[in-house]
Amino acid sequence: MKTNLFLLAGKLAPLVLLTLPLCAAENWVRYDALPAGSKAKVDGTSTIHDWTVESRLIAGHVEFDSGFNLDQPAPGKVNAHCVVTIPVRQLKSDSTKMDTVMYEHIKQKDYPRIEYRLTEMTLKEAPKTPDAPFLFDTKGELAVAGVTNKVQMPVAMTRVGKDKLKFTGSTSVKMTTFGIQPPTLVGILSTGDDVKISFEWLAAKKEEK
Amino acid sequence: MNNTESVELNRREFLKGSSFATLMTMLGGVELITPTPARAVDLETLVPFQVKCAVVGLGAWGREILATLSRLKTAQLVAVCDTYPVSLKRAASSAPKAQGVEDYRKILDDKEVRAVIVGTPTHKHREIVIAALQAGKHVYCEAPLAHTIEDARAIALAAKAARKQVFQAGLQTRSNAQRRFLLDFIRTGATGKTVKAHAQWHKKQSWRATSASADREKELNWRLNRETSGGLVGEIGIHQIDTLAWFLNVRPVSVTGFGSLVQWRDGRDVPDTVEAVFEFPEGVRLTCEGTLANSFDADYELLYGTDAAIMTRGNKAWLFKEVDSPLLGWEVYAQKDQFYKETGIALVANATKSTQQGEKSGDDVPFSSTSLRSALESFLINVNEIGSAVEDFGASFDPNDKAALEKYLAGIKLQPRAGYQEGYEAAVMALKANEAILKGEKVAFKKEWFELA
Repeated sequence: MKTNLFLLAGKLAPLVLLTLPLCAAENWVRYDALPAGSKAKVDGTSTIHDWTVESRLIAGHVEFDSGFNLDQPAPGKVNAHCVVTIPVRQLKSDSTKMDTVMYEHIKQKDYPRIEYRLTEMTLKEAPKTPDAPFLFDTKGELAVAGVTNKVQMPVAMTRVGKDKLKFTGSTSVKMTTFGIQPPTLVGILSTGDDVKISFEWLAAKKEEK
Repeated sequence: MNNTESVELNRREFLKGSSFATLMTMLGGVELITPTPARAVDLETLVPFQVKCAVVGLGAWGREILATLSRLKTAQLVAVCDTYPVSLKRAASSAPKAQGVEDYRKILDDKEVRAVIVGTPTHKHREIVIAALQAGKHVYCEAPLAHTIEDARAIALAAKAARKQVFQAGLQTRSNAQRRFLLDFIRTGATGKTVKAHAQWHKKQSWRATSASADREKELNWRLNRETSGGLVGEIGIHQIDTLAWFLNVRPVSVTGFGSLVQWRDGRDVPDTVEAVFEFPEGVRLTCEGTLANSFDADYELLYGTDAAIMTRGNKAWLFKEVDSPLLGWEVYAQKDQFYKETGIALVANATKSTQQGEKSGDDVPFSSTSLRSALESFLINVNEIGSAVEDFGASFDPNDKAALEKYLAGIKLQPRAGYQEGYEAAVMALKANEAILKGEKVAFKKEWFELA
């Protein structure tokens, strides 16, 4: 009988482990990306002029441990999850030709999305007024063209109305670290390796059903 | 996407390319030339995407559409349709891999087909276009949208309701880089106050097609029957009327028409020689005339201003300045052509950009694009843009959130084209002009005729 109980416990253990995240999820406050009001931008340089591509589509979600109180935030590490994706095809410049060249270099057909996953979030200091932004230092993983790199960037979070959060931030990366050869149009221009990625991302609290 | 793409005068090229001989002939006319846009060449080389399309209607113009599409690498012709088997066979040379069908509904049932280009006789547009839109296809519909305003309205309303799809009216000059360049040039006020406009289309041809079968012949000659034809002004003049009204940037107040059967008295009831006079606000009139009985001076459009007149012929345009008009600066270096006793200054689109990209412009580069090609190119790019936006939005957010999706799609930059509104308004102008011609009277336009409820 004893043996059987141990056996049973052994069989149940994975189930218990599987249900743990589900139980934990109940203690998370989730915000989902809104379909409007966001903007991701990549700024770069070239031998002729600077260039910019933009996307108005940023999908994903962020969730905070329910212990993180937006009204009385404590500086320090914040227990948070965040995954954000941008469809590469929605990054646009003013030139179709430029976009075509970019999609090819970024291997859009094989890797149609740019993905960011948060790994660490630290609140630097509590906002001094209700309207002031929360300033975080973040660490995360950025996946572009099939290559994932670690990135660090300061992120500001502002409360918008009752249930929305707006995140803004920017970081600089080198195209070559993602295995992307800076595009060159023969005889016309060549682009610089350094690009600046910046974003404004709007998310709303998930309605409880 | 580049509907805001700037167009520039060929100032640098004029300076760079001006030879002694050019300077010596400076007293002559200056031609306004559009070199092939560099973007089109690069796009073709890169083949950024392919749209699976079908062409419905394989008459003379349908075959022209097919031939143009077959040269665009962004188009993948998967099906062609015509009710006449011989036309299907003829089309095979342009689209050997496309499946030939006699019933257009087979094309609509094919999930692979994303875009349908309708080049059937005008009176057959309504049924096919609406069914295609309802089947979720992107649609390019030749101009005029229909032979009656009622049908044109039904098509435009169906297109308006199809928010996730691209609808383009075949008013191809709306996608023509030269015309768009001229539009910007005119908007700067370089021609002064608008005085009047004129359009001419002259060709000596019967418009009649023959066939061994009487039924087939009747079907082929739909243009010669008032019941099915928009007449010269509806079938041909619509492109010129649309372009000039676009330049004038205002809707007409009335149209008076005259028509007669001078040459081709073969049983047809559609005039072979017509004149329509459109009245616009502030006393501006557009005269539009066409004939199938004489070919002198072919076809052109003229816009007269107090400082200059602009003439367009095909892909070329010229400026004719008044002696008391302000000096623009660049025109003294510009290429000029002589027209009888007048001197035309050539107007060139995108020339500075081409120069930056190391390309030659002007007469050195033959214009390799046609308005039809530009229009179809725009259509395919827009299909790809809207199609991928709908797909990506649906993968990221609730695809049933119509308001959010529409807002997102409204922000997508599209290639220049005539949409359902432009297609409908042009049909109203041209078909009412045809009505005025047939009745020999004046028709006053009502504001509500142009509006889509």
